Amino acid sequence: MKLLIVEDQPKTGHYLRQGLNEAGFNTELVADGITGQHLALTGDYALLILDVMLPGRDGWQILQAVRSAGLDIPVLFLTARDAVEDRVHGLELGADDYLVKPFAFSELLARVRSLLRRGSAATQETHLQLADLRLDLIRRRVERAGQRIDLTAKEFALLEMLLRRQGEVLPKSLIASQVWDMNFDSDTNVIEVAIRRLRLKVDDAHPHKLIHTVRGMGYVLEERNA
Amino acid sequence: MRRLSLGSRLALLFAACTAVVSLSAGVLFNRASESHFIELDQQLLDARLAALRGSLAGVGNREDFQQRRERLPAELNLSPDLALRVSGADGQRWFNAANALPDDLPTQAGLTSLRIEGTAYRVFNAPLDPSKADSPQLTLILDITHHQHFLQRMQHLIWLTVSLSALATALLGAWAARSGLRPLRRMSEVAAGVSASSLTQRLPEEQMPPELAELAQSFNAMLARLDDSFQRLSAFSADIAHELRTPLSNLLTHTQVTLTRPRTLEDYRETLHSNLEELQWMAQLVNDMLYLAKADHGLLTPRREALELADEVDALLEFFMPLAEESRVRLRREGKASLAGDRGMLRRALSNLLDNALRFTPMEGEIAVKLEHVAQGLRVSVENTGEGIAPGLLPQLFDRFYRADPARREGSSEHAGLGLAITQSIVRAHGGQIRCESGVGWTRFVIELPTSH
Repeated sequence: MKLLIVEDQPKTGHYLRQGLNEAGFNTELVADGITGQHLALTGDYALLILDVMLPGRDGWQILQAVRSAGLDIPVLFLTARDAVEDRVHGLELGADDYLVKPFAFSELLARVRSLLRRGSAATQETHLQLADLRLDLIRRRVERAGQRIDLTAKEFALLEMLLRRQGEVLPKSLIASQVWDMNFDSDTNVIEVAIRRLRLKVDDAHPHKLIHTVRGMGYVLEERNA
Repeated sequence: MRRLSLGSRLALLFAACTAVVSLSAGVLFNRASESHFIELDQQLLDARLAALRGSLAGVGNREDFQQRRERLPAELNLSPDLALRVSGADGQRWFNAANALPDDLPTQAGLTSLRIEGTAYRVFNAPLDPSKADSPQLTLILDITHHQHFLQRMQHLIWLTVSLSALATALLGAWAARSGLRPLRRMSEVAAGVSASSLTQRLPEEQMPPELAELAQSFNAMLARLDDSFQRLSAFSADIAHELRTPLSNLLTHTQVTLTRPRTLEDYRETLHSNLEELQWMAQLVNDMLYLAKADHGLLTPRREALELADEVDALLEFFMPLAEESRVRLRREGKASLAGDRGMLRRALSNLLDNALRFTPMEGEIAVKLEHVAQGLRVSVENTGEGIAPGLLPQLFDRFYRADPARREGSSEHAGLGLAITQSIVRAHGGQIRCESGVGWTRFVIELPTSH
């Protein structure tokens, strides 16, 4: 999976590339708009990450060139400016997502994965599973080691999200947005509490814990060898 | 072009008024004297005419006239300014005592004024015997130079009066304007003395004349507002610096201490995690402050979509449910209301209120969100049980970085005290108002939003 980052700030670009490479993506980085546009049009990328302010050609111009060339690659914008007009402008031109600096890397990673997943045809699953945890999407039932677990609707949605994206670190803001449709930065600890309650039902009775906290970044559902 | 000062403007206007008044008085006086002189001359000429008619009574032709003409110089000598011409009915000149004057004097009957070579005359034509159609004509010519001299002197006097009085009023006017405008100068001195460092200066309103008192009042009110905003701004900057100082010093210390000697991988990881927490807190603070700055610049423009507030509140209550259950706080909603507003922004505003309420509601307490339509729009109130807030503290609640309990946070990952300020900005961006009421055992935040724009 090849990604292209066009970012003129060397430090930001370097860390983004390192982070994405370590997350399993093959990432290229360029620092100016002209090279960026050339690569975006000729290379076979699965996703573009564009800074708005760039030397040569700005992010919007690159996006325009890409869209008018008939390419349907998902585009994620990064910007230091959070003007509503900017956001609207970017989305009008066909940007797929938008992140305002300063953003958390875990947030970026989660959004990149969402965008890449959007492209692939979603298979109609009936079950989600990890180790002995099993979630039945049709009957809306959850079992662990054969024992039924009673969950509220939101707890079910939260566990479904963790299972669908198992192995990924999900930031709190993404969970609030996906499960509760709360799309704002909030310093409330609702998510922590919700995760703690879910753990109580899913993990507490079992020696192998599945829900893990990644300090300062979010939560992940995965099997870990203790 | 340089503009005239108020003082010079007033002085010039005064001078112009005096000039116009004295000039018209002079002109009137001049006119009156002139008609008075005409009357006097008419009387004089009438008397002469009567005398001449007496002495020349019965004269019908030139021969008769020649016989009586010896008497004429004596008659004429009585008034040296007077000259006489006598003509026959056919226009033939019989007698002429005014040889210096041209022949073609006006011939119409009655009194005429004219000026020949710098000397003014009145010419009076009358028939010798008004009852006869072919009577000889008498022409009396009166030299009125002395009248004219008098009138000219009058005119000079008038011009002199006009210019002197104009000058005098200009000077007096300038002085009067200067002393009359003294409060205005004082005002501008105060205004000039106002700067960012001395916004406390005020104009003495009670010492101002009534015309300026209102201006002084608005000026003082403006100063008060400026002072207030400036105080807030400087307090805000100081607060920002203070808020950032704690996490920054944590970051510096922790990083430096960690780097002083080799450590285990676990230690490094722990340091990075701790730094991450500080950094996240700072990022959140910066984002919140940018949001507030945008609101201050009027850049927070809510979208207007039709919203059922009951649905929004229910979604929020569901979101906060896990937190509320932890402390066994009941959450409930009453009533319904709809409006056109920005879903994301209003959710954020209400979530700050709910988050805040949850912090201060004791175990087993209750939080009620009430929605109702009122006269001018709708009202959303978020009420929680628990210790009330002192009335003196209510107005400060919405100030940035205000915390009900100052000891609550110093470097911890607690909220920065911007939540209520953000809520207020969002409410204001929707054209509404927010206030807080509190009593014994309850606290209530009330948002009033207009439903139409």
